Amino acid sequence: MYSPYDFNQNIAHRAEYAEERLKEGMPVVALSYDQGVLLFAVRRSQRKIFEIYDQLMYAALGNHSDVEAVRLAAIDFAHQEGFARSPDDVSIQRLVGFAVSPPLKRSFGDPMSTPYVLRALFAEVGRTPDADAFFVLNYDGEFAEYSRCAAIAGSIPAEDAMVAKLREDDSVPDLAGALKRAAEAWKSAFNPPEEEESTQEDDDPLKEALKDSQLEAAVLERDTPRESKFRLLREDELKDVMAELE
Amino acid sequence: MNTNYQPSGDFSRLVPLSPMQSTPAETRPDASFDTHGTTVIAVKYNEGVLNVADRRATAGMGVMYDRAEKILPLDDCTMIAISGSFAKSIEIARYLRHAFKYYQRSQLQPMSLEGKLAEVSRAIANNLPMAMQGIGAFIPVLSAYDRDENEGRIFFYDGMGARFESSEFGAAGSGSSAIRGLFDYIVRTKKPFSQMDLQEALRECLVLLDIAADLDAATGGYAKILPSAKAATKEGILTLDEKQMQNALRQLEDAGTLSALPPVHAHKTDADVK
Repeated sequence: MYSPYDFNQNIAHRAEYAEERLKEGMPVVALSYDQGVLLFAVRRSQRKIFEIYDQLMYAALGNHSDVEAVRLAAIDFAHQEGFARSPDDVSIQRLVGFAVSPPLKRSFGDPMSTPYVLRALFAEVGRTPDADAFFVLNYDGEFAEYSRCAAIAGSIPAEDAMVAKLREDDSVPDLAGALKRAAEAWKSAFNPPEEEESTQEDDDPLKEALKDSQLEAAVLERDTPRESKFRLLREDELKDVMAELE
Repeated sequence: MNTNYQPSGDFSRLVPLSPMQSTPAETRPDASFDTHGTTVIAVKYNEGVLNVADRRATAGMGVMYDRAEKILPLDDCTMIAISGSFAKSIEIARYLRHAFKYYQRSQLQPMSLEGKLAEVSRAIANNLPMAMQGIGAFIPVLSAYDRDENEGRIFFYDGMGARFESSEFGAAGSGSSAIRGLFDYIVRTKKPFSQMDLQEALRECLVLLDIAADLDAATGGYAKILPSAKAATKEGILTLDEKQMQNALRQLEDAGTLSALPPVHAHKTDADVK
């Protein structure tokens, strides 16, 4: 017999399994700027930021295969909807809330399947920075909406530290300013105030991470004559951030 | 979340492009049932491909709409100029836009030009059962900027989806047969379109469109409503605005090209006049 005790145990084990694997994940920062929405990440071998639809992009940390599964499912849903109705009917709320989250939750609760290991961030560009939307989606299907900025990291305290850092300044930056703020927020994921043993305290965590990884940043541009709003930033656009690390 | 996503990036498996097939009609539907786009022109120029189209859409003998847009960008380097059934070609253009984007986003690489051309062929072939019944036939001209070869390219199709590449120009629609030979004449007597700049190519296209309007009742000219023009270039799809079109027309006016026809004095030549 499958008892309520087993159910709780099972859920706890699965959460532990996912959390354990997410711990090492490199954070992702999202914020609005005057001309669009920025996602800022550090990647190891695989690409991290992806275009989902005209006004939607996505980044996630976790198991690569799970990151891909959610990405492709989101792309399928968005394109089906966009063709059947109109691109304006594809919204981040419908995508995350109805198409991705419930099946994720189902799979998480199913004792016969391997749980998905990922924490995902969806971003939608609107007509103004206040109309931009961000959704953070967890491996158990839980999701939360943010406006103006959001972040995902390997642990909840790290995420909270990043969001707190981002909220210190609530003016709308330009792209260069947004990159600078994103880099600062990214670093704050690695500085939980209590556990700083005095070894190498001055080491910049971003600089440290870039020794074997690369910066990756992408934008959805509010007003662009190009067909797609999504664009990965070029190296020369990231050089200011890199220069500050020197 | 659908975990049975298909890894090929083939949009037609996600959203089947169903031929709107029905049992053969007893009588052919009235021509006014199906709104048609009329004349579209594509020519190369030194920086890409220029498309010019009148704005008329007809339903049978009537004018349905005089501000129709018949040049539709599919992505940053391809656009399609449509003639024939309006309903079907708009639907196909929407389908193609989604198919190209779907492939690029899911496969993380852009669809090749060859792949896009095949997709267009497939859409036309798919429409054949309907076209055979006398409605819904459409013939597109596809213009692309080939970023590998760094040149503009023009492709046209027949009703079954066969694709042909043109070296200099392409045209489709009811007025196109009337002006087909004129393209050759311009290439032979003036210079190839691919050596003209945008302004020069635009002027030639406007004259061609005017002649098509003179010879084909369904083609709108530019006296009342300006034609639309777009160019596929290295930088993306360029839309020529009203001011640029008016400029080109003024240049033609100044050069006297528009009023070149002398008035005709017809003499009475009845056989029984003594």
